[in-house]
Amino acid sequence: MGKIHELSEILSNQIAAGEVIERPASVVKELAENAIDANSTQIDIVIEQAGLQLVQVIDNGDGIEPDDVSTAFKRHATSKITTRQDLFKIQSLGFRGEALASIASVSDLTIETATANSLGTFAHFKGGILQTQKTSPIRPGTAITVRDLFFNTPARLKYVKTFQTELANVIDIVNRLAMSHPQIAFTLTNDDHLLMKTAGNDDLQQTIAGIYGVTMAKQLLSISAEDLDFKLTGYVSLPQLTRASRNYLSIMINGRYIKNYQLNKAIIKGYGSKLMVGRYPVAVLNIQMDPLLIDVNVHPTKQEVRLSKEPALMTLIEKAIYGRLRTENLIPDAVQNLKQTKVVDVDQLQMDLNQITSQRRNATGTVRPVHQTSMPEKTMKTEPTATQIAETETPLKTEPTADPNLNSLPIFEQPRQLAQWDDKYAAESVGNPFGETAEDNEVPIARFPVLHYIGQLHDTFLLAEGEDGFYILDQHAAQERIKYEYYREKIGEVSNDVQNLLVPLVLEYPNSDAIKLQARKELLADVGVQLESFGQNSFVVHSHPTWIAQGQEEATIREMIETVLENGKLDIAHFREATAIMISCKQSIKAHHHLDDAQAKALLADLAQTENPFNCPHGRPVLIHYTQKDLEKMFKRIQDPHQSWSGE
Amino acid sequence: MKFSINRTQFIKTLNDVQRAISAKTTIPILTGLKLVLSQEGLTLTGSDADISIEATLATTDEKNQLTVEEPGAIVLPARFFSEIAKKLPEDQMTIAVGDNFQTTIRSGKSEFTINGLDANSYPHLPEIADQNPFSIATDVLKQLIRQTVIAVSNQESRPILTGVHLVLNSGEMLAVATDSHRLAQRKLTVSVPSDVNYDVIIPGKSLIELSRTLADGDETVEIRIAENQVLFKAGNLAFYSRLLEGNYPDTARLIPTSSSTQIEFNAPVLLAAIERASLLSHESRNNVVRLTLNTADNTAIIYGNSPDVGNVEETLQFENLTGEDLEISFNPDYMKDALRSFGQTAIMINFTAALRPFTLVPSEDQEHYIQLITPVRTF
Ligand SMILES: Nc1ncnc2c1ncn2[C@@H]1O[C@H](COP(=O)(O)OP(=O)(O)OP(=O)(O)O)[C@@H](O)[C@H]1O
Ligand SMILES: [Mg+2]
Repeated sequence: MGKIHELSEILSNQIAAGEVIERPASVVKELAENAIDANSTQIDIVIEQAGLQLVQVIDNGDGIEPDDVSTAFKRHATSKITTRQDLFKIQSLGFRGEALASIASVSDLTIETATANSLGTFAHFKGGILQTQKTSPIRPGTAITVRDLFFNTPARLKYVKTFQTELANVIDIVNRLAMSHPQIAFTLTNDDHLLMKTAGNDDLQQTIAGIYGVTMAKQLLSISAEDLDFKLTGYVSLPQLTRASRNYLSIMINGRYIKNYQLNKAIIKGYGSKLMVGRYPVAVLNIQMDPLLIDVNVHPTKQEVRLSKEPALMTLIEKAIYGRLRTENLIPDAVQNLKQTKVVDVDQLQMDLNQITSQRRNATGTVRPVHQTSMPEKTMKTEPTATQIAETETPLKTEPTADPNLNSLPIFEQPRQLAQWDDKYAAESVGNPFGETAEDNEVPIARFPVLHYIGQLHDTFLLAEGEDGFYILDQHAAQERIKYEYYREKIGEVSNDVQNLLVPLVLEYPNSDAIKLQARKELLADVGVQLESFGQNSFVVHSHPTWIAQGQEEATIREMIETVLENGKLDIAHFREATAIMISCKQSIKAHHHLDDAQAKALLADLAQTENPFNCPHGRPVLIHYTQKDLEKMFKRIQDPHQSWSGE
Repeated sequence: MKFSINRTQFIKTLNDVQRAISAKTTIPILTGLKLVLSQEGLTLTGSDADISIEATLATTDEKNQLTVEEPGAIVLPARFFSEIAKKLPEDQMTIAVGDNFQTTIRSGKSEFTINGLDANSYPHLPEIADQNPFSIATDVLKQLIRQTVIAVSNQESRPILTGVHLVLNSGEMLAVATDSHRLAQRKLTVSVPSDVNYDVIIPGKSLIELSRTLADGDETVEIRIAENQVLFKAGNLAFYSRLLEGNYPDTARLIPTSSSTQIEFNAPVLLAAIERASLLSHESRNNVVRLTLNTADNTAIIYGNSPDVGNVEETLQFENLTGEDLEISFNPDYMKDALRSFGQTAIMINFTAALRPFTLVPSEDQEHYIQLITPVRTF
């Protein structure tokens, strides 16, 4: 007797729902996209309990004919494409005909819909099964109400995160839909709270103001560019208005918000060296192109797309931003100047030099960091300045060494950096805006070699021998590292005193951030920053910790808030890292300073005690290493690391 | 354009005008100095778009030894030109503009030729109509600036607070500045028709420059206010500043009207004690001192503490202590700034509560000048 049988329609819909409908935000997205496809000019989204209790999307669009209503809820039922050819020129946001069937199969759903010249229809589905259908009076348009999401798929319900996380996801999606359709007036209401409202007057900057706040919208520059294939319009922030995450980059292609790492990269490249380490701009780009050039049918949530002329589009974006910023006069302040310029991950500098030779072997094809475990991403987030360096005029890779091959240490090569971005991006796109799942995994400590001091070179470098070769240390960098770790601790021990303010600070945040901040106010209160709600997206601050440098109150508090938004926690010691770096640099011995043997040995011993002896706080290497093999190779005793020792 | 002039007189004026010229300006021509020569005299102009300074060396002033050969105008690169003018060998120098704005500067046997720019491309200074000018004695204005700018904010993120709020109402002028940690307010009576009222915010930086530019010799400064500019005229000098746009916070309600504890100090004596008490407080960790007032014992004790350095305690010398006991903490830097602004006088400090702002006023004239400081809440 055969065990294989066809799944019932309802069961297969539920399985499909698993892909299409991951969380309340997916319901909002699908319903709102349908409303957009139906030529609506006003879309009102009402949710309760972040959508878990209720999602309601009301539009004033074309509506569905009475006869089509039950069909619309069938799997693969769509009005949007008919032929295979249509699939290659999709203009609408929907095309699979899966969304309604999927949503209906995992919820209790009612729909009221009417076209301009037919009677209205009311229908009720529960777990995908039609309960009732009748005529109903309603103005043209569609209202869909989804209750009890995932009631029949408890496993799915388990994956739903906290209320705030889900809400932030919904807001995020509605924000993006609104920004890609400035001609549509959106509202979003959660538990009777109006969270967002756009004017729908086709003015993108006003739309952005409705979402990110007027203050931020005002600091954006409009950009536009066009070539034979693409038309690009949008807004980008001045380099001084940056965020700690890439979340504020929004790219819309033909009205669809998409995630594309390469295009994000193009935006950032457009800023050249103007961005600070670890900072990302705010950008909203609407791109129009021939639908033939884009394949949206690659991912169930349709957020990932394949572009056939991606490199050309990247160049267009980069140039448009670069050109626009050049017309603005940018006077960065000194500190920013110090910090800005290209980011190099510490991973690349990580002087776990045992790896150098093996890395060189697969330099070209490397997509994964070789010793990924030695510096997990976690560290990058909490210690941005220590783990990333500002590479100034002289990239380290031009440092002369004897062998031109050794010269191009693969640690500086792009693919690895990109791989990390990919990794980070992938992690982000899973949707973890609150970072609660970021585990507090310990940073495994890379092995620091036992060094025997040989001597000092040019009163600047220390030479040492280790078990596995020859080491050169930069004495300034070494001491900087030691002092830095000392001060980083000390400086974290700040007093709890707070200075009152005569004129309070008012801080405005985009709605999604404001929601998160509400939830995390306590973290800030713990470190002396009391946020008091003030209107919808704003907070008032009446006092600040006394340790904040004079004149830096607002900037510092904003940075603290961003740290909390980004990491979900705030560690003052780490937060004050920049100050620690400055002090440690000032207090360290410089180059051209003679050290006697005892002093040099003490320095090496102290260095070995540090948490990260491999880099100075600016990210430059403290020591470089020549393995025995490297030395042999330089002296042409061996030709290539692949070949084994060939003897005399 | 061609003229010769006394070099010392010229350099003096040039120094004034150069205050307005910044090498970092975004408009290249503003790195230049504009010279305009007429039969009446030579006018020098410098500007950084925020402030502009114009000064005239009159032909009629003998000291200038100005001979006008051919009127005209030119813009010269300020930095080079002023270095040249300062290093020339003789008392007299001659400046002549030739073709293509090439300018020759001659003194004794030395001759420089530098490239000038067309004066027509120099931005025009704002026209400020003569509506209702009023005057203040120079030393009073300088004092007012000195007393208020200390409280101006340097946080560009709150641009309004980087200015001094100047209100003229029924012949009374009020100047207020606050960086929101402290506040300084000065009142003056000005002789103007009572219907002349102004409410403007002048950038603190402009006022500091103005105060440096004003010579002690000039008796009075004439002030003219327009839509978004203010003009100060003194002697041969015109100083223009941009005004800040926006609404200044309502500071009147921030100043307490009553107090529960009052103490009188000699300002320099208290200043010296605060300086000592703050020796151990650490700028970046905890810059706080604590003042304990006990009316029964009639003592005032200042206490400073830094966990890793040590602590300091001093029993203060004071004149009069009345009211309730009090313990209050504050940033000693604000106190120092405030005390310095009083000079050698007796002052009254009025407290209302440990977490409420307190005020400092001169004992003699409590009406016209007030410094306010917000306390620190300690744990
Ligand atoms: N708000 C609406 N107004 C008018 N018609 C609608 C609306 N929502 C859905 N429809 C109709 O129902 C059909 C099915 O919708 P559904 O979302 O399931 O599929 P789709 O949008 O075509 O494709 P996708 O699964 O990619 O979203 C649509 O093709 C459209 O004709
Ligand atoms: Mg759809």
